[in-house]
Amino acid sequence: MASDGMSNVPDFSDLTCTNLMIRLRMLLKKAGDMPVECIVRRDQRDTVDVPFSRTGYVVKIHKVDTNKFLVNLRKKRPGA
Amino acid sequence: MTSNFFLLEGFISPERLGWIEENLKFFFVKLHPQNLLHSSRPKDAVFTFFLTGDSLYSLQNPETVPVWEVILSMPAVKIVIDSEELHLRGISVERLRMKNPDQVIIHNSIGLNGRPSFWKDVMKSARQHEQPVPSLVGYLQLSSPYMNRSSVALLECLRAALEAHASIDMYCYLDGIHIGHQGQRPSEFENIGDGLNELSEKAAKRGLQCQMFACARCAAARGYSTWDDGAGVVISTCAIKPFRIRNINEIIEQFRRNHIILSENCASIQLKKDGMQVTFSVLDREQSPPLTILITTHPYGTETAFGGLSLAIAAAFHGIQTRVIFMEDGVYALTGVHKPEQPAPFFNLQEVIDTVSGSENLQLFSFTPSLQKRGITKNSRLTGVLDIGIPELGNLLFYSPNGVAANHQRVLFF
Repeated sequence: MASDGMSNVPDFSDLTCTNLMIRLRMLLKKAGDMPVECIVRRDQRDTVDVPFSRTGYVVKIHKVDTNKFLVNLRKKRPGA
Repeated sequence: MTSNFFLLEGFISPERLGWIEENLKFFFVKLHPQNLLHSSRPKDAVFTFFLTGDSLYSLQNPETVPVWEVILSMPAVKIVIDSEELHLRGISVERLRMKNPDQVIIHNSIGLNGRPSFWKDVMKSARQHEQPVPSLVGYLQLSSPYMNRSSVALLECLRAALEAHASIDMYCYLDGIHIGHQGQRPSEFENIGDGLNELSEKAAKRGLQCQMFACARCAAARGYSTWDDGAGVVISTCAIKPFRIRNINEIIEQFRRNHIILSENCASIQLKKDGMQVTFSVLDREQSPPLTILITTHPYGTETAFGGLSLAIAAAFHGIQTRVIFMEDGVYALTGVHKPEQPAPFFNLQEVIDTVSGSENLQLFSFTPSLQKRGITKNSRLTGVLDIGIPELGNLLFYSPNGVAANHQRVLFF
């Protein structure tokens, strides 16, 4: 699921926060140890950041546009 | 005064009344055997069933009347009947009432307008959990108006709450969104939109709070135009003035308060531990009542099953201890292997269940008597959904989850 260009990154900015969480958890389950990337809105950023950081994921967020953020999620390595 | 109650508006199937009966037996025999002793029978009801709408047909259905008779043979159980809805339907409950005159209540309290008010009786139970005041009563609306009479019940309920000097919160979800549409003009039905506007005005006059939230996902799907006005506030162009279209997270934030939330079919179960404070302030977010969502409908045919699961996931993500129990026709969500065409514009419910099982604050269960009744088995891949029977259901309903100090549990039917 890692991006090799922004065009391949799914845009989840239309999703509600709950559906975004569900969608990301599905992708992470399929991705295993691979990172997952997506585009989210400003107000979705915190919804992703806090819960996933708390539950064993490394969360990186980069601002792409005024209301668009690129989120990168990866499972924390044991001992990291 | 009643500690536990069911509020039932929808049709009650023999199956539903059957598991309720079994759970009441569990409650009295296993958990509160002292109430079975004649000498120590409590004067007040321990369990009250508030029946209105189509649930009243269960009082004359030959398949359910015998079950009601068993329920009424248990100590301290009362049925409070919405007398106006009973008369509307021409249903007679005289046989049940003659056998159990103190337990079948058909005379409702008198409201401020001088008419019998079933909802005033409901309010007496709904408000007792949250002393001291300020008081708040919430209502989760899932159905559209006009097609469903439940919207009238919603208005009556919230009017009674204001009469009882309680602030009101309304949460519109799924088709419940439509009750807030602007410009409703029914010719043969009470105008629900006008009724909601009047509620808002009445609350303001009394110095009470009246908040009407609508789920943004459900609203957007149904064409309620919204936009971001730059300050992150979403404003609808086609909803009545008091209506606020908001992200489900904001609605769930309200659920973290310690007030009663009613719905078309719901229950409130008192959770009391020895030495524990019985009542909490309504504003106390640290005492969020646990939430049990009963998914009782088929998946996919309607949005109901997914809506229940989605609400549960949102609640769990916000720190509310949440249990989802698939039962009755809801067990069809767990059977077979669901294969939507790819890419599907909707979630594969089994994939969602598999993904969220094991999440913090969220537990998923399948009610095995419902599976057995339908001759089906659970998909073996759904290992995160635990099988339960009557005793385990009783434990889930009547015992507080670990670490929860709330005084009651909310049970919502989807």
